[in-house]
Amino acid sequence: MKTPKISIHDLKLWYGESEALHGIDVEFAENQVTALIGPSGCGKSTLLRCLNRMNDRISGCRIEGEILLDGDDIYAPEVDVVQLRTHVGMVFQKPNPFPKSIYENVAYAPRIHGLADKGSDMDEVVETALRRASIWNEVKDKLNTPGTSLSGGQQQRLCIARTIAVKPNVILMDEPCSALDPIATAKIEELIDELKGEFTIIMVTHSMQQAARISDQTAFFYMGDLIEFGETGKIFTQPAKQQTEDYITGRFG
Amino acid sequence: MPQHTIKRFDEELDKLKELVLAMGGLVERAIGNAVQSMLEQDEALAKATIEQDKEINALEIECDEMTRDILVRRQPAAGDLRFILGIIKVVTDLERMGDLAAGISKAMLNAQSNPPKNFSNLDIMGEKVQKQVKRTLNALSRGDTDLSMKVIGKDQGIDKLYKRMYREMLTYMLEDPREISSSIIVSNVAKNLERISDHATNISEMVVYIARGHDIRHVEHEAAEKMLSGDDS
Repeated sequence: MKTPKISIHDLKLWYGESEALHGIDVEFAENQVTALIGPSGCGKSTLLRCLNRMNDRISGCRIEGEILLDGDDIYAPEVDVVQLRTHVGMVFQKPNPFPKSIYENVAYAPRIHGLADKGSDMDEVVETALRRASIWNEVKDKLNTPGTSLSGGQQQRLCIARTIAVKPNVILMDEPCSALDPIATAKIEELIDELKGEFTIIMVTHSMQQAARISDQTAFFYMGDLIEFGETGKIFTQPAKQQTEDYITGRFG
Repeated sequence: MPQHTIKRFDEELDKLKELVLAMGGLVERAIGNAVQSMLEQDEALAKATIEQDKEINALEIECDEMTRDILVRRQPAAGDLRFILGIIKVVTDLERMGDLAAGISKAMLNAQSNPPKNFSNLDIMGEKVQKQVKRTLNALSRGDTDLSMKVIGKDQGIDKLYKRMYREMLTYMLEDPREISSSIIVSNVAKNLERISDHATNISEMVVYIARGHDIRHVEHEAAEKMLSGDDS
């Protein structure tokens, strides 16, 4: 395994009285795509949201244990959550562009974080992000039209451009293709494959075929436990645990 | 193992397994008949054996169509995937075994002008190879890796038996040139049986892959044993 980008030690999480994660230990490698799979309610999305502290906003949510990003505890008191989220970006299930122009969707975050000013600097940041998200050619002539006017797949790539515009290290994706058709899905998957050269990508997916297609590592969760974690090829041909085997072969009980 | 949520998938896998085992049954019978047709110089049995090879070939096609269908429709993973991959190879081995059996009967028919009389240990070799085939099919049917390893271990004995018969035939040929054509036929039949045993070994290797996920092809027997004992954790 490559150097761990994120190390999680004995992570427990409660929503009120109910324990949703029961002591997770796992390391996510740098510049790799890790897929988190498992049935609904298994804790995979909960874990994903811990990685950029999205759970902070949920009342009654409490965590124990440690999450290290490049060796630093992201739950340490001195951590600025806004800064953390520039390092750990997130792409959601449904594309959610701002009700602004395509250009402004990408420029918004770099501007508030002071990464670029107006003018040619910002133009460059926007173009680079749109190019890396493989959508530049489709939008370069209509940068001032609303982001919401794009197709679902284009909107999702715009959201990826918006995420990478602030130069994060880690991109979290929560079922990024579940609202997309197969062609748009293939484009996103192709993009993920390109992006992993620069970013560490952790993705929740309900599609096991998608996990098998694009991830390097796969983690299988069940009822708040990490059942098995390993190289994707191994998990899908020779899983070590019976529970993993049953899940990925469609024996859901 | 619990059933698939999609019951139809279980039915398809069961059906495929039944087909492969039916094909195996035909192959097993073809080998017995082919050897018998040679030993007893039974022309009718030889012709029937050659004719029955068509059934084996048809089953190969049918199995391949089923595996293709399952791959496309079910996208199998893990144990199911290994089963499908294994079956694709097993079916090819079985078809070749059928050809080799038919080849024995063809050799019998071709030698009618000057039929061989001295069969050396062909009867014993025929029985041993049939036993290998029966064992490998049982191992496949039950997913029995112990039995597979037994089949693989016993293949060397078959190889030795073939070499011994080959040398024996060579001796006859050297002693009496009139024995040449007959000795070549018997030697070739023994070679076919030896090849059939090799295919039975291949099938047993696939049984291990299907059941445990270990690829033990081209691995020394002891090393393969170690591999299998290593993952009992």
